[in-house]
Amino acid sequence: MTDSTPVPLGATAPGGIPDQPDPAGGVGRAGRRLAGEVAFAVVSAALGVYAIIGAGFIRVPPGSASVLGPRAFPYAVGVLLVAASVAVVVQIARGRRGVPDDGEDVDPDAPTDWLTVAKLVAIFLSQLVLIEWAGWPIAVAVVFAGAAIVLGARRCWMALLIGLGLGLVTQLVFGAWLGLSLPAGPLLDWIPIFHG
Amino acid sequence: MDSLTALLEGFATALQPQYLLIALFGVFIGTAVGVLPGIGPAMTVALLLPLTYTLDPTGALILFAGIYYGGMYGGSTTSILLNTPGESASIVTALEGNRMAKAGRGAAALATAAIGSFVAGTIATVLLTFLAPGIAKLAVQLGPADYFALIVVAFLTVGALLGSSIPRGLVSLGLGLMLGLVGTEVLSGQQRYTLGVPSLADGIDVVLIAVGLFALGETLYVASRLRHGPVRVIPVTRGWRSWLTRDDVRRSWKPWLRGTAIGFPIGTIPAGGADVATFLSYATERRLAKGRARAQFGRGAIEGVAGPESANNAAAAGVLVPLLTLGLPTTATAAIIISAFQSYGIRPGPLLFETQSGLVWALIASLYIGNVLLLVLNLPLVGMWVKVLRIPRPYLYAGILAFAGLGAYALHFNVFDTLTLLVVGIVGFLMRRYGYPVAPMVVGGILGPMAEEQLRKSMAISQGDLAYLIHSPFAIAAYTTLAVIIVTGIWLKRRKARLEASPTLVPTGAIAAVDRVDAPADSAARDRE
Repeated sequence: MTDSTPVPLGATAPGGIPDQPDPAGGVGRAGRRLAGEVAFAVVSAALGVYAIIGAGFIRVPPGSASVLGPRAFPYAVGVLLVAASVAVVVQIARGRRGVPDDGEDVDPDAPTDWLTVAKLVAIFLSQLVLIEWAGWPIAVAVVFAGAAIVLGARRCWMALLIGLGLGLVTQLVFGAWLGLSLPAGPLLDWIPIFHG
Repeated sequence: MDSLTALLEGFATALQPQYLLIALFGVFIGTAVGVLPGIGPAMTVALLLPLTYTLDPTGALILFAGIYYGGMYGGSTTSILLNTPGESASIVTALEGNRMAKAGRGAAALATAAIGSFVAGTIATVLLTFLAPGIAKLAVQLGPADYFALIVVAFLTVGALLGSSIPRGLVSLGLGLMLGLVGTEVLSGQQRYTLGVPSLADGIDVVLIAVGLFALGETLYVASRLRHGPVRVIPVTRGWRSWLTRDDVRRSWKPWLRGTAIGFPIGTIPAGGADVATFLSYATERRLAKGRARAQFGRGAIEGVAGPESANNAAAAGVLVPLLTLGLPTTATAAIIISAFQSYGIRPGPLLFETQSGLVWALIASLYIGNVLLLVLNLPLVGMWVKVLRIPRPYLYAGILAFAGLGAYALHFNVFDTLTLLVVGIVGFLMRRYGYPVAPMVVGGILGPMAEEQLRKSMAISQGDLAYLIHSPFAIAAYTTLAVIIVTGIWLKRRKARLEASPTLVPTGAIAAVDRVDAPADSAARDRE
């Protein structure tokens, strides 16, 4: 599962520069899309291979020879993944491409903006550190404000203010009232109601 | 009759003030989140999961019932009122509802959707009440091989029928099964595919898979192609009188009933859930329309809202039949509900009606209550939903990210879950971009471990004889049905593709085309009135 991360992130790199300035923009974009589509199928197939190889390393307890052991199901999953991924690659080669999802807020004509995606991923990663170091309210404020600004919020201070408000409200509702143990963080821990 | 007494007892529980309040809150928050654009019922249920963590099981399930029905219903308001060209065709209500709203008949569209949802939801819940105990009784006699057959049916129908092509659905299913493999193997106690990470020893929580794929994946995907500029919401005229005229009711009641008749059975079989049901209902209404209504189809026919919306809610109740009686989730939303059950140590399945009878009947009673509350809340609160629709998109998606983070962290209060969520989210983003359906992955993640368990039980009984898997008449029937479902499903999808491509419907992909067609449609509708 973690195996699949390097490739998606790697795929971010070539597309990281926004798509427009390239004089052959249309062709380059379509080419990258095709490459990405094939890469996703190939990584899925690789995951299947990993499932099959990994299954070989699962210890089979002695005395269970006649019964289905702990390897059989992983083998089946691996074979399914490999077979289905190969079928997708064959479909792509025959010209049956994937249709990107529609949505109410999706602009059907916009090119994929990898930079925004990378920024959002980076902002979300900040939670790994911030939740435990700075506390839940601040971690939420950073994620909310950061994401809103990246997505084009007009006023930065507004985004920060709402983010901080959201962090405090969720801390109060979920931490203090519903009793989930969200860390309030060093800044707020001395206030009894936040301590939960 | 037994079930009637049990149901009354369920009502006695669900009508207690604190549970009634919980139901009200669930319906309200479910609708509010479901109304948010880009958030489907699965994401609504996944995002609101942390709310239930500290309630007692009865309260949590009642809250869930409210959120589920509210989330299912909320989407119709969005598709009727949100003025987005290039709208996804999967929300069939948008086809006619959006056009009605543009012609100034938004209130009527909302009203027929709300009343249709109520009628369909109530009839379907009655059917659930009387069918479920019987099915559960039959299901008690099923052996592991039969269960395995049922799970295979669910896998293949969900995998093969959702999404644009069969291999893509199966890849998605395979990725979910792969995630389901991670963790400690039950019989020998050894770890599989954990890469030595101790936090993975307990496996990957389905909540992470669902929230990652739906909330995070969807947000990243929308962010990658965000529509900038102001949000255009179609205004709704106020006042009770303009909601439904006598003529509207006359044209709506048959579609309500037909939608229910189509939606409930489709919900109960694993055939893609509400999407297929709404589409079928729309196609039926279009074919049956005569005279003036026929001319209106494609420009705002009320039948095209009333039918699919009823089918949608009837299917939502239908999905609960296999969920409660067999423990089989047939949609992504159902998969999330099952994981919520499991977090309370409740295992949905045939024994549920015996071991947790009070709980189940309280849940079913709260479905009736939820339906009434939906009707009571929704019409008067339209003004509020419109405000919700106007939330500037940067804040909306930033908020979804924040709540997704909450859902992940609140599972075990461990940031490793946050990281897992992000990885699954990136996979979900790529799947959307490259045209893979995400629902099979969620279903695979939750049913995979169950499938392995049942398969190994069967093999232990038969001493490794594979023929045991098809020894019982039930299993043979299940595999035969599977073949039939897949063949008809593929046929239906071909039809759907043809219908979408047919010229009477406005092609939904192109902004330019929609704008060009809208203008005459609006004036034509006005001329008629």
